[in-house]
Amino acid sequence: MDEQTACFTGREIHSAPALSRTSFLKIRYLDSPLMVDTEYIRHLTDSHKQTDGLEVQLRRATDHAYALAHMTPVIHNGDLIAGNKTRFIRGAIPYVNYAASPFLKEMRKEEQDAQSKHSEQGMGGGIGKTISEAEQNGLRLISGKFLISKDDYEGFKDVCGYWEDKCFMEQGDRLWKNHFGKADFIVNGWEIGLYTAPHEPCPEGRLILDYETALEKGYEQIIRETEDKINAFIPENMNGASSLFFWKAAVIVLKGASGFTSNYAAEAEKLAGKENDPARKAELEQMAETCRQVPLKPPRNFREAIQAFWFTYLLGHIEGSHLGFSPGRLDMLLWPYFNHDPDITVEKAIPLFEELFVKMTQIEYIASLSWQGLGHGNLYQNLILGGVDEKGEPVNNPVSMAILQAQINMQMTQPTLSVWWDEKLDPEFLMKAAECVKTGVGYPAFFNQATYVAHELETSGLPVEIIRKHSAIGGCTEPTLQGMSHGIVQAGFINHGKLIDLVLNEGLDPLTGIRMFEAGNPQTFEEVRSYYLKMMRETVRNWQQYWNYVMIAHRNTVPLIFCSVFVKDCLGGGKGMDDGGAALNQSVTTLSSGMVNVANSLAVIKKMCFDDNVCTLDELFHAVSQNWKGYESLRKKALNVPHWGNDYDFADDMFLGLFDEYCTWVKGQNNYLGLPYDPSMLAISTPVPFGKVCNAFPDGRLKGEPLADGVSSPFPGSDICGPTAVIRSSSKIDHRKIRGGLLNLKFHPSALKGENGSKNLLALIKTYFEKPGFHVQFNVVDSRMLKDAQLNPQNYRDLVVRVAGFSAYWVEMSKALQDQVIERTEHSL
Amino acid sequence: MKGTIINIQHYAVQDGPGIRTLVFFKGCPLKCAWCCNPESQSPGSQLRYISYRCKQCMECVSACTNSGVSSEEGHMSHSFELCNECNSKICIDKCNYDAVALTGKDISSEELLASIAADISFYRNSGGGVTFSGGEPFAQHEFLVEMLQKCKALDIHTAIETCGWASEKALRKAIPYTDLFLFDLKIADPDLHLEFTRKPVGPILANLELLSSEKADIIIRFPVIAGITDSTKNLEGIAAIMYSNNLKQINLMPFHSLGTDKYEEHGMKYTLDQIKEFDPGQITAIRDFFLKQDFICEIS
Repeated sequence: MDEQTACFTGREIHSAPALSRTSFLKIRYLDSPLMVDTEYIRHLTDSHKQTDGLEVQLRRATDHAYALAHMTPVIHNGDLIAGNKTRFIRGAIPYVNYAASPFLKEMRKEEQDAQSKHSEQGMGGGIGKTISEAEQNGLRLISGKFLISKDDYEGFKDVCGYWEDKCFMEQGDRLWKNHFGKADFIVNGWEIGLYTAPHEPCPEGRLILDYETALEKGYEQIIRETEDKINAFIPENMNGASSLFFWKAAVIVLKGASGFTSNYAAEAEKLAGKENDPARKAELEQMAETCRQVPLKPPRNFREAIQAFWFTYLLGHIEGSHLGFSPGRLDMLLWPYFNHDPDITVEKAIPLFEELFVKMTQIEYIASLSWQGLGHGNLYQNLILGGVDEKGEPVNNPVSMAILQAQINMQMTQPTLSVWWDEKLDPEFLMKAAECVKTGVGYPAFFNQATYVAHELETSGLPVEIIRKHSAIGGCTEPTLQGMSHGIVQAGFINHGKLIDLVLNEGLDPLTGIRMFEAGNPQTFEEVRSYYLKMMRETVRNWQQYWNYVMIAHRNTVPLIFCSVFVKDCLGGGKGMDDGGAALNQSVTTLSSGMVNVANSLAVIKKMCFDDNVCTLDELFHAVSQNWKGYESLRKKALNVPHWGNDYDFADDMFLGLFDEYCTWVKGQNNYLGLPYDPSMLAISTPVPFGKVCNAFPDGRLKGEPLADGVSSPFPGSDICGPTAVIRSSSKIDHRKIRGGLLNLKFHPSALKGENGSKNLLALIKTYFEKPGFHVQFNVVDSRMLKDAQLNPQNYRDLVVRVAGFSAYWVEMSKALQDQVIERTEHSL
Repeated sequence: MKGTIINIQHYAVQDGPGIRTLVFFKGCPLKCAWCCNPESQSPGSQLRYISYRCKQCMECVSACTNSGVSSEEGHMSHSFELCNECNSKICIDKCNYDAVALTGKDISSEELLASIAADISFYRNSGGGVTFSGGEPFAQHEFLVEMLQKCKALDIHTAIETCGWASEKALRKAIPYTDLFLFDLKIADPDLHLEFTRKPVGPILANLELLSSEKADIIIRFPVIAGITDSTKNLEGIAAIMYSNNLKQINLMPFHSLGTDKYEEHGMKYTLDQIKEFDPGQITAIRDFFLKQDFICEIS
């Protein structure tokens, strides 16, 4: 490779966009600043001022429909697919109907929440451009990285003021802060970093709509069918009345959506009329024709199917403040349209996907600084390929190949690609997936479909055929049933690392002095462990119950109507998702990260203080409280105790025991829809901010260092026995017990070189999944290259690396997160 | 039985087919001038001092009862000969930063087998197995044969990476349990071979002949060292040896300088001044030479 000359090994696979048009789209994206677009929220607010007194579902639908029908249709030069979330290339809608206070606090120069001081955003790439443009053009910078014009800003202030006491977050706060007995625990938990910041600014997502029905029927038919239900309806009880409202709301919102797409048809027609270039004119005329057909009527060919998917996807995206709103199994969805379209080929499909993926990446989100930092600007739009259908037959097809090639060419951060692994998948498809991994972008991630099917069989009791057909990943690594699950609307993450601080300090947070628990000083190993479990249980329970209060407010302020229309069987049952109308309502998870550090710490405590008598518990706790300063030799001994991820049962059993306790406990509380919470663990960017608020740990970790990432990824540097040992450890976990899971492996490019390198990678995945594991993803990069990219960011504008359940542009990542990715153990030859 | 090894590397993918576990034996009869694993030459364990990790805390100096280590103008100075003979090696214990370490450890065949067998499902799915490398595995031939037998009993694919310096008896014992020999051929000319490796090439070629006549599966590995092994004369000599032994495949191992730090860390002297690394074009030209003669030739 020519990169050899730069003293590091470059990535093996390089490619470029298929057409100059898609090259242009990518470069335009990379060169664009991040903008806030207040148009949608202003229209929504205008309507909301007029709809006081309407039943909540009708009001929500009316306001959203009004805003949709009034958004400016923007068709950018070079676009063939119509429809954008904002008027800008990189734009975000500020959902102040969800949470106004983060913006108001920023305007008042107040701290948004306890965590914002610990969160970081990157400053390079498009973000750097935003900041410099703000300075040059007199635009205002908000939420750290977005631009807003001065006029928009004044109007936005009024909109924020309007929603201050009406938004979802405020309504929720009033409920739980007044009625929940453990409210102080939650507030203190935020203060010390036991929990992630309030999730109300972006609570939804992990949701995949029923695109199959949307395409097969078209909106017009769905409207007709729903109107038939309304006409045939006779109220017999209060639930029935609620159904009537839901159906009416559904019709309103679908008509608003039709207005939105018709505006695009008209705009395309208008632009075509003014266009002098005959080629572009023809493109615009075709776009107008397409927008008149879909999504109102079923698509007639492959191109229309892509447009129909995109409209429904976009309209769902606009309705809520989503993270992890996902396209799901796009190769399965589009295959019949591809198969029956005589004019389409893989070569012609590739640039269409390239454009689609630019469009997905162009969607930005603006929330609280904490949640922007946690997500690192990533919307976790997960597109999963392969897997098996209802009969258990493999799904991979030419559309799967086109999608992989499009991302090999483009390397956009969105959508993040995944593969449902199954023994029966075509080797050619798997080799293509391995090729994509070797571009270094970190996707596709591989998921074991059989493991999830087993989880869902037990959780939902649905027939195996249904589960197979609908299983997909919503968000980073959370499996769900596409088109039939309630979106996973959870409270955010619990920081297991913080619990170590609390156990070691009798329930008092050593960094803030805040008391969370009344606890004694543990004297035995069993006491240490049981104190942790007791604190973990209370932390989990309080978090779940707090969130159940919050979600009452969700139902009463921002119930999802458009999205419910496309989740089975809300329309049939006459109930939106907020009322439990989805076929699967046990998708709501309790999330946590950092358990590996707890397991490692327990292993060290047991071995050093009780088995080997190297030191007393008091001595160890004291050394940790001093951040190991003056206790370097003790720290070395702690680091030498086998940690999780080396296939030593001693450490691994510690983790497995805790994992089981966590899973069992989480299920003991019902979610706001009346079914048990589902245990989950993943990471996003939590290891960095969670680590920042934690003191040193008995496992040798120093104060402020990031926690172990993912669910079963070892603590950086502690896996000394190679990737196969990591996999052997990780495969001891019964992944069927949780919804989600995350294992990061980092390989030096030379370890995967050539066809044999790809085959070995696939053999590694197969071995893990036979055990059976659930998820694994790869960074294929030379750490020396990443260090070079830190020093010379100008040379790496489009470098994409895997972080957690998502990939990100290197230059737009915070320094702390960059360091964490570099620190992960690199498996080489 | 116990053997002395440097390291066990899992997920090794360059030394034989599939996903493999690579075991580095300690001790090698050859002393190749370009050796990039100098710590594998001596049979016993050796002290290693990794200066960039050292924080000059002086713990090792105060602990040493042997005058093995002293501080000199901001760095530690070791009397490596003394240290390697030292039985206590207390400095390793005392170092909190892993700057002092021991290269080489004794391991029982049972323990080594357990580590190899742990990855059996990876071998099965990838067509991989175990590769005994080094150092020279045949320098501990009894241990090697025991390991080979134990691995074959578990149906694990076995490979040996050898410089070819072995007794005929040992070689014959190993053949039935070895699926693949990765056999190093360096220099065809006897004088030059002796000069650069300190051993004659004759016995090595005799062993190659023996393996070939016993129909062992053999891949030749050829280190490409600028100015030493890359002459046309040597390439022709290597090709002739391969032809006469009816061998099909040769893999090129381009020189890399990654091992040079290890000389200093083990108190050893690097005798070659500066070998330049090849650019890909030169390596390709050498590969083309072998391809033209109908050999299979890959670049590692």
